[in-house]
Amino acid sequence: MNTEAKDNALFPVILGSTVHDIKNSLGTLLGLIQQLSGKQSPDQVDDFRQLEFEANRINHSLMQLLVMYKIDSNTFGLIEDEYAALDLLNEAKAQQDRLSQLQNIQVSIECSDDVLCYCDFQHVSNALGTILNNAQRYSRKKVVISASEVEGYLLFSIEDDGEGYPQHLLNADLSNQSNLDWVTGNTGLGLYFVAAIAGFHKNRDKSGFVKIDNNSRLGGARFSLYLP
Amino acid sequence: MKPILVGKSILIVEDYPAMRNAIRNMLYTLDADNISEADNGLNALVAMSRTNFDIVLCDYNLGTGKNGQQVLEEARIQKLLSPNCVFVILSGEQSTSMVLGAMDSKPDEYLAKPFNAQQLFVRLERNLTRKALLQSVEKEIERGHLAQAIQQCDKLLAENHKKIRTHLLKIRAELAALVGDFEAGKRIYSEILHERDLPWARLGLGIIEFQQGNFSQAGQQFEDLLRVHPMFLEGYDWLSKVYEAEDKLKEVQDIINQAVDLSPQSILRQKKLAETADKIGNVDVAEKAYKAAVSLGKYSIYKSSSDFTNLAKLYSKTRSPEKALETLSNMRQEFRNDPVAELRAVTLETELHKNAGNDEQASACLQKALALNRQLGSKTPKDLQLDIAKTCFLQNQHEDAEAIMGSLIKNHIDDEQFLNDLRRMQSGIGMDNHSEELIQKTKRALVATNNQGVTLYKQGKFSEAMALFEKAIASMPENQTIVINTLKIILHDLKASGIDEEKLVRAQALLKKARQIGVDRHKLGILQMEFSNLLRQYNEAKS
Repeated sequence: MNTEAKDNALFPVILGSTVHDIKNSLGTLLGLIQQLSGKQSPDQVDDFRQLEFEANRINHSLMQLLVMYKIDSNTFGLIEDEYAALDLLNEAKAQQDRLSQLQNIQVSIECSDDVLCYCDFQHVSNALGTILNNAQRYSRKKVVISASEVEGYLLFSIEDDGEGYPQHLLNADLSNQSNLDWVTGNTGLGLYFVAAIAGFHKNRDKSGFVKIDNNSRLGGARFSLYLP
Repeated sequence: MKPILVGKSILIVEDYPAMRNAIRNMLYTLDADNISEADNGLNALVAMSRTNFDIVLCDYNLGTGKNGQQVLEEARIQKLLSPNCVFVILSGEQSTSMVLGAMDSKPDEYLAKPFNAQQLFVRLERNLTRKALLQSVEKEIERGHLAQAIQQCDKLLAENHKKIRTHLLKIRAELAALVGDFEAGKRIYSEILHERDLPWARLGLGIIEFQQGNFSQAGQQFEDLLRVHPMFLEGYDWLSKVYEAEDKLKEVQDIINQAVDLSPQSILRQKKLAETADKIGNVDVAEKAYKAAVSLGKYSIYKSSSDFTNLAKLYSKTRSPEKALETLSNMRQEFRNDPVAELRAVTLETELHKNAGNDEQASACLQKALALNRQLGSKTPKDLQLDIAKTCFLQNQHEDAEAIMGSLIKNHIDDEQFLNDLRRMQSGIGMDNHSEELIQKTKRALVATNNQGVTLYKQGKFSEAMALFEKAIASMPENQTIVINTLKIILHDLKASGIDEEKLVRAQALLKKARQIGVDRHKLGILQMEFSNLLRQYNEAKS
């Protein structure tokens, strides 16, 4: 009997139902935290923010894991429609609100409400949330997130006022799936995930992609997501 | 956040109390003030039949009973949802097959759990805004007033609402195709495709080719679509229609099988797969798919006794009478006091008894079947009538068999696919071409009646023409060609000799009848458009 094949067949089932279970628990947990945080004394507010932030982070990591697993097993697909780019930015900002409050960072949005974006809302807003999370952790006071139309692409930018990306990341070829030496640490992993999501967005011969540099208007790192 | 939920009636459908509370609290933070709850699919449908909700948030997994997709399908068919209701399917599970299945039922929105208030707000606001803007169009479409719907659509397009433009163009193109304005439909789809490769626009182009009878171009279009968008399930359905029109059943089976592999939850595709595989003698595929249809049907509006008896027939064919009887007994439990189900059962039991050598019981069952069939009259589905006829032939009751065949041929003479089923049945019992003469004769008679009616009308003898058609309708009430031509004559006359309330009422009744006997909505669109134009003139003249 081929036990190897059996193990392989079993693993996805276990992974799938375990992740499903954790996600359900997390959903309830997040709901409870939000309810309780309204009733707490002022000196506990920060603890609750931290609690909510950590739960959100687990959820995020879990989503990433699930998406990467689906991509790996060729079962990943997008649910695309037309959305206001502003809604995507608002969503990403809302996801990271707790961290901004904790670290006292001002996140501002620059986008008019008639910019439209054809994409998978959930995956793109999560991807932007991931990058925003990084930007907030490395910035000093301010982060600007924006969206605009540029040469047939919709461009989302996240700019901060921190130290900028380290040289090894700036040198990396983010779209190259065969050389993943740069995928180390939280920032690299996040970029890898967002680049993968971007690549799934296609319009005829164009595909989505990401770029990073240190040309932020605020003097720090700048992340750019292009969707066709 | 804008207080968009104030005064909106909202239904939460969720089996898990803690989650129900969490969603309700989230809605309260968004200023909702009119929230109802249901803990399972059945209660949700009861609530929807009492209240016209503005928003339904329905979990996909509702424990035992109907799932969220089945709730949506049933609510649609029972017409429990008004066009401005926003239906959102919520789901924690995100397997590809589940997501594709849920998307298949076309909810307004699909939201993955866990979600927060901001995410919910964005999705609801987007849909409420869109529905409010599209309300004038949707209302006319729902009433079947296609001319007015097109007018409203063009008006909104001219107002340049950027956020709903793509959506409006989609509706506008569908309306154009529906009323037979194929050039306009093609133009809009091509314009959309020029901007972005959207799967529904490719599909729309293929559907227009299909309607124009260009099957090979339509097939090409759908194949290209599936190559680029393999997850777009409607593409498989339409490609199978092309193959079906070309009577390529093996290809129909293969393409539906691909869609079923992607999304095994779709009961209608499982049925189609089973019936096709059954026709071409692919027993294994048919058995698996019938079983799936039976099990998916348990809580579905598409549950049907024919899935059980088709499975039992398959067992009878493969010489497993015990399995056949067991399937029939399961069916009787699921369909108590259902005369059609009972008729299906006794018809098959005739065959089972005969195969077992119990001639007396076989003949008793057949008499019971014939009596039931007489009681049901035209309510007996055509596939079942065909089965009864076949059983009569096999039991040497030729007179009864011929009577049923004669009526089937008369009523469905313009349904080539059904005539092929009928021919296949006869070949299957060694009676090749048995009804061919009758089929050809009936076809000629139908053409003659049509020509005669049209000639009478052209001679200005409207009432004679109508009398002829009404007589034909009485003798073959389910004949689509006759109903459509009668309708055409009335509409033509209304246009030529002025509007007359009595004729308008008759036209409306015929439109309804055409829908009842299953005239393709695309064939009906042009007539519906003409009718709605006349109705508008009539209402304007009156006011």
